[in-house]
Amino acid sequence: MPLLSWGLVMLPKLFINGFACLTGDAAPEDFAPFVEVRKLRRAEQISKNVLLCAFRALEQAQLKDTSHAKLGISLAMGAGALESTLKFMQSIVEDGDELSSPTAFASSVHNSTALFLSMFLGIHGPCVVTGQLDASFGAALLTAQQFLAKDMCEQVLVAVTEDVNPLLVEVLQKDPHVFDPFVYQPHLPATRLAGAWVVSKKPTAATQFVLDSIELSTTVDVRTQTQPLLPVHSCAHSVLLLANHLEQKKDFSLREQFAGTILKIAGKPYVCA
Amino acid sequence: MSLKQVSIAGMGCVCACGNTAAETFEGALSGNALFELPADRITSTYTTKYPVFLVNPTTYQNKPADQTFSQFFFIRAAQEAFAQAGILPSQLTPSRVGVIVGSSVHSSFHCFQIYKQWRQNSLTSQDIAGLKNYLATPLAQWVSNYFGFTGPFQTIATACASGTDAIGLAKNWIETDLCDVVLCGGTDELTESPYDGFIRLLVSTPQRCRPFCKTRSGINIGEGAAALLLVNEQTAQKFQLPCQGYVLGYGNCCDGFHPTAPDPKGTGLQKALSFALQDAGKNANDIAFINAHGTASQANDSAEAIAFRAVLPQVPVWGSKSVTGHTLGAAGAIEAVLTLQALNKRILPATVGFSTPDEQLQLVPTQKQTTISKRFAVSDSLAFGGCNAAIVLGACDAA
Repeated sequence: MPLLSWGLVMLPKLFINGFACLTGDAAPEDFAPFVEVRKLRRAEQISKNVLLCAFRALEQAQLKDTSHAKLGISLAMGAGALESTLKFMQSIVEDGDELSSPTAFASSVHNSTALFLSMFLGIHGPCVVTGQLDASFGAALLTAQQFLAKDMCEQVLVAVTEDVNPLLVEVLQKDPHVFDPFVYQPHLPATRLAGAWVVSKKPTAATQFVLDSIELSTTVDVRTQTQPLLPVHSCAHSVLLLANHLEQKKDFSLREQFAGTILKIAGKPYVCA
Repeated sequence: MSLKQVSIAGMGCVCACGNTAAETFEGALSGNALFELPADRITSTYTTKYPVFLVNPTTYQNKPADQTFSQFFFIRAAQEAFAQAGILPSQLTPSRVGVIVGSSVHSSFHCFQIYKQWRQNSLTSQDIAGLKNYLATPLAQWVSNYFGFTGPFQTIATACASGTDAIGLAKNWIETDLCDVVLCGGTDELTESPYDGFIRLLVSTPQRCRPFCKTRSGINIGEGAAALLLVNEQTAQKFQLPCQGYVLGYGNCCDGFHPTAPDPKGTGLQKALSFALQDAGKNANDIAFINAHGTASQANDSAEAIAFRAVLPQVPVWGSKSVTGHTLGAAGAIEAVLTLQALNKRILPATVGFSTPDEQLQLVPTQKQTTISKRFAVSDSLAFGGCNAAIVLGACDAA
């Protein structure tokens, strides 16, 4: 029986019941089928991006109009809400401590994106956010498996969203080798990426794919073996690759090497027995 | 479910009221803690001064230059946990040891000094080295590498619930046989960003915080770390490890209500508490006390009071943030360490700073030190974004 593994440890496989991916930013009109866009005025762009993906993934999973009480959220963010984080630091620099922006501070917390997902999708189940750069996506998948294994919910929205770090991009543009041995890949766009999957441990009427194998292995010496993909060094890169494979609707496997982690995923379209 | 499935072989802690787990509990009993105006490393220009709970500077005078305070605090706590367990990290099978660390500040791009230099077009080679270090070292992965483990790792960034989530997920990793051992906990250091941020959100107070008190006026932030070494039965038996207690249940539920305030009805927290009790196979009558999140903000204490009345009526409530401060991503882990020691010593401390019951809360926390006989307790955390987490812990003799 095909199993998922992290190193030597085996876990049950995952079924994908809906998925969506976004390169770049969601436009206001994209939300028309789902929510009044004015309600999103306080959301940061990375929250809007992943929210749009989540709406589309839930629609595919046939969960658009049903109660989401038995849904959980496992959110992966590489470096968190960078735009807000930088905005908050900027407000301290420009306006001083006493006039720094409380809104930017609140939005800079990883959970602010989780809030927008839970609030606009009506999800009131378990929710955990992982923030560890490129290694976030694998850990988010693992968290989803754990939620399901412990029956904390019936399906999990695995969501990923990544911001651009203008500081890193500018530094790299001036000197592409500045972070050696980290690999600068100028052909990769410095853009936001987001993705969302609805996964379950048992197939549903909406199941499209089955992930037969997920393997996350680690290397010990991070300093000599790391190869983050800069400027898009983030967890969202593997999201993009996985989504591209799913779009093709055939058997697939992908392998991504990150800072001390290798992520391997293999799956195939699901056919109801 | 067997109580022996996930035991705690060792634990360590460093915070404003102690440099070890034992010292921290003594500090919780005495109320003594380092509560001072911000240290040199916080250069805020606020005219109103907001004291914070600080780790004693003598603790980190030998901190390696290439470690952040968050890393240093956690490693120190983890080494204490291994020492208490009487085992060396090298004795464990590396691929079967997982690491889960919760952190709020360290998970974010809070490179404030580097940011300032960048804005002034004056980035130095030292700043670049700092950025490189940031790229190379997601926290849990760095900890895993530090001890030579090769099992799974996860840095939890669920803000102030991160420490509790780390312990709860670690329990699940062992129960589902992902690992034999998980080093888990939380760590956070004080920086200008949370210091300014909480003041600007109008939830900080220049006075010492008073959890659940009618006169409460807000929170005091703090710093520190706590680490717990969770092991499965086979590992405990193989190495004849001591038992400091058990992690029995974990629950988590989001409110979906507000960016910085909890659902005033505590709905998500009620679900998290209920799931944790169900997971542990316990009910309210089994619980000796609750170590509350108890930040002493109006909204937090009110939501918790409602949730406790609904799910754990009549169970004593202890607030400990008036001796540790609100240590953000470390809070849940530090409070778990305090909770376990209270259970093991059969002593329930008073809630320092509490003086006047708040009729609206209908909750009076512990006012004096008492003895307890029940062998289980609950510790809960609430976070920005409406994330709620709860764990059920058992005393070392609960099996």
